[in-house]
Amino acid sequence: MGRYIARRLIYMVLVVLVVSVITFGLMHAVPGGPFSREKKLPAETVKVLNERYHLDDPLWKQYTTYIYNVLIPHVTTTPPSNSLMDDHMFNVKIGSVWIRWMNFGPSYKSRSRTVNDIFRDNLPISAQLGTMALIIAVLIGMPLGVMAALKQNTMMDYFGMGVAIFGVSVPVIVLGPILVWVFGVALKWFPVSGWGAKPPYLLGFLPSNYNWDFFKFAVMPSVALGLGSSAVIARLTRASLLQTVREDYIRTARAKGLHERVIITRHALKNSLIPVVTILGPLFAALVTGTFVTELIFGIPGMGKYFVTSITNRDYPVIMGTILLYAVFLVVANLLVDIVYAYLDPRIRYD
Amino acid sequence: MRKLFITLSMLIALSMVLAACGGAAPEAPAEPAAPAEPAAPAEPAAPAEPEPEPEEPAMEGPKVLYGNFGPGDVPSLDPAVAEDTSSIQVIEETFIGLTNLNEETSATEPGMATAWEETTNDDGSVTVTFNLRNDVPWVRFNGEAVETVKTCDGSADRMVTAQDFAYGIMRNQAPANASPYAYLLGFVLKGAAEFNSGETDDFSTVGVEVVDDYTLKLTFLAPTAYNTQIAGLWVARPQPQWVIEGDDCTEARGERWTEPGFFQSYGPFTMSEWIHDSELTIVKNPFWPGTDEIPVSKIDAVTFSMLDDTVSFAEYESGNMDYSPVPLADIDRVKADPVLSSELVIAPVQCTYYYGFNTRAPFVDDARVRRALSMAVDRQSLIDNVTKGGQEPAQWFSRPGLAAAPTMESHPDLGIKYDPEAAKAELQSYLDEKGLTVADLDLTLMFNTSSGHQTIAEAIQQMWKDALDVDVKLVNQEWAVYLETVDSLATPQIFRLGWCLDYPDANNFIREVFASGGNANAVDDAGEPSGGIMWKNDRFEELVTTAALETDPAKRLEMYAEAEQILVYDDAVMIPIYWYTRVTVTKPYITRTFGVGGHEKFEKWDILPH
Repeated sequence: MGRYIARRLIYMVLVVLVVSVITFGLMHAVPGGPFSREKKLPAETVKVLNERYHLDDPLWKQYTTYIYNVLIPHVTTTPPSNSLMDDHMFNVKIGSVWIRWMNFGPSYKSRSRTVNDIFRDNLPISAQLGTMALIIAVLIGMPLGVMAALKQNTMMDYFGMGVAIFGVSVPVIVLGPILVWVFGVALKWFPVSGWGAKPPYLLGFLPSNYNWDFFKFAVMPSVALGLGSSAVIARLTRASLLQTVREDYIRTARAKGLHERVIITRHALKNSLIPVVTILGPLFAALVTGTFVTELIFGIPGMGKYFVTSITNRDYPVIMGTILLYAVFLVVANLLVDIVYAYLDPRIRYD
Repeated sequence: MRKLFITLSMLIALSMVLAACGGAAPEAPAEPAAPAEPAAPAEPAAPAEPEPEPEEPAMEGPKVLYGNFGPGDVPSLDPAVAEDTSSIQVIEETFIGLTNLNEETSATEPGMATAWEETTNDDGSVTVTFNLRNDVPWVRFNGEAVETVKTCDGSADRMVTAQDFAYGIMRNQAPANASPYAYLLGFVLKGAAEFNSGETDDFSTVGVEVVDDYTLKLTFLAPTAYNTQIAGLWVARPQPQWVIEGDDCTEARGERWTEPGFFQSYGPFTMSEWIHDSELTIVKNPFWPGTDEIPVSKIDAVTFSMLDDTVSFAEYESGNMDYSPVPLADIDRVKADPVLSSELVIAPVQCTYYYGFNTRAPFVDDARVRRALSMAVDRQSLIDNVTKGGQEPAQWFSRPGLAAAPTMESHPDLGIKYDPEAAKAELQSYLDEKGLTVADLDLTLMFNTSSGHQTIAEAIQQMWKDALDVDVKLVNQEWAVYLETVDSLATPQIFRLGWCLDYPDANNFIREVFASGGNANAVDDAGEPSGGIMWKNDRFEELVTTAALETDPAKRLEMYAEAEQILVYDDAVMIPIYWYTRVTVTKPYITRTFGVGGHEKFEKWDILPH
């Protein structure tokens, strides 16, 4: 297993590098630049801006400089400065020497923030929201799916699948405003917009207040975001469980007189989880790195909008930063999924 | 990006018929703004109405106003590099310029300078000597309260001086800071363009001279009417050198100097809290001396959220927001609702929505075709049925309310109007001469991808079909791609753009956009048209150039009126569509003013007990 994980880690670095090359190439190939304005900037100003951000360098040099700044730890005697060009995610002082790592560069749009600032301030919020949404998705989706499968073609099944169909067909963009209107504006149970946690965060990403002041903001967006995913999970669980209960080993278990509950929980459910776990990986990566629509509707200052606005603004460092962030979350989540496979199904071996 | 923001937000927050506010249109710029005057002319009876939310306790403690900036973080609070509406809004309240532009009348008023006088130099340039206030200290928010910034030894307050102004202008022009709006000063201030482009690195060649702590001399290239307007803009505001670069007391915050805790300012407010991407709060500066034009604030703090208009309006309806733009989808409901409609106010905004023609493209290279298309646009119907905001139908380009721009009162028949019969005749004359039929016309209208622009384009496409029987194809492109297209030789026959003011003078509109080399009329190095409307009319050029230097307001007005007539009728190189307004709801317990340039002056607002 250890050797397998090591090999996977090397592949992961390669995958992320390939993603970075493609993203870098595509974003520079698209017409328009970060300094396109309806009110045009004078040529001299654009030249000065291009020099400032080294956009007049050849593309290969811009790319290698970027990768160098992000990947290679810098060992230096100069302490971190206030320059936006020089903001590293990790700054460790050993004796008189600083080891500084991961400079994702400045944002062109915001003249006072870097991509690292966006990660520090916004990613924790998206991660908190995404995690809660994922928990809600699993807590609603799995029981619905199991119930529907065990009581196939009964009212329970139709009800469960009805909820699932509703969840998939009513997107956040519809459900969100309805929730806001009913429970926020009309009933005033929950705040209409905002988020209950502020920097600084515990360990860099956890809210420091686990109380109603935090959760009252989280209820509506987590439900809106989690419901769609729960529908997918419910349908997958149902389909997978229906298939599993028809397997020979389940018949064997029944034949030897095992209690039905033991058959379902110990044998059927565990084996039927593989497809569900498979989608949980990418789902996790997508939810915790930020969701554009949900965050916009509920006024949550997360990462989601940066995936969209960075592209319309041609804010190159933010585009690279967000895409790489998502890529890293995705490959790590997929690795975790593969490791969980081995636990769920002993027939899967990686060595 | 400032334009984009304004354009987009205005498109969403479209406005409705401005019956009650006709008298509030900026037409009497002569009198200095009296802050005691009632600010909102719409509903004198409103505050007396029963409070719709009785559970709110009576006003006690600090007066905090809640507003909204629109989604996305405020890009920068640094006057040297700011370029968007939200950033400039905060800067307008925390740093005051040499001159102050009245937010309602656009008149140039005393700001940090109490008086100024002009002298003409031998080379035709003009030197303006500004006498500054000597009673304004720098302040900071220390986490609990606003305090003055002390000198190194702590013996005295740091006052805002002429040196701070010179430093601010230097930072705005320094090539290393790459300020997007450096060209505003470069346009008028002697030597600034050369310093900004790096031709010289000697700032003493720029027309900025510190005479003493409270006297500043600026030398302008020519005696234009808008020199003192531009000198008061956010690009020419003092900045605290000690905080940015550090001195013997060392702050040296560099580019982080605008962060909470480091930020220093001196205006009627200062920034106290900035949770990036979430909210920004400015608090009253009790050390601002208060002037006739910029009084001491009655409100203790203003908190701006960063929410989508729809979310902001929902917060307003739940009582958590004191004023908010109304989303397009909610306008009809707001108009019908007895409470909301009484809180609704439409205010003019100095922006113009227009279509331009590539005058070198097939068919639209003839003025008759362009005039026909322009006269076939039923602007009032578009406003009533599509944009629904009661914007004002535009007969020419420069938004009325700008200094020296024609107004509907002064020139009711200027420009171009909806006239389907005349449009048909113009087009027929062209077709007969060329031996064509309407079916031969192959026309394309391009706009940037957006549902708002799409609906407007579809409506106008239908108007052209109805009035002229012309089929026009619609094409859209993503914003940044589109901006390159309309700035190239491949500019489509008809293209959409908008324009909002930087400084309230007609020069900022008609000349900066449509004169040869202007924003929508690009030229290459040889002076040949290279994009946009690709048009040059010698009479037009002469008019807008001489009007800039004319000192008699009446003569300037007539020159601009003639230029507009050439632009929109004689040559008809663009279709003026509408002048912007905006729809805002404000709680009845707020007294306020309505800024026409996209910025509010919260020191003139108040929150009444409720």
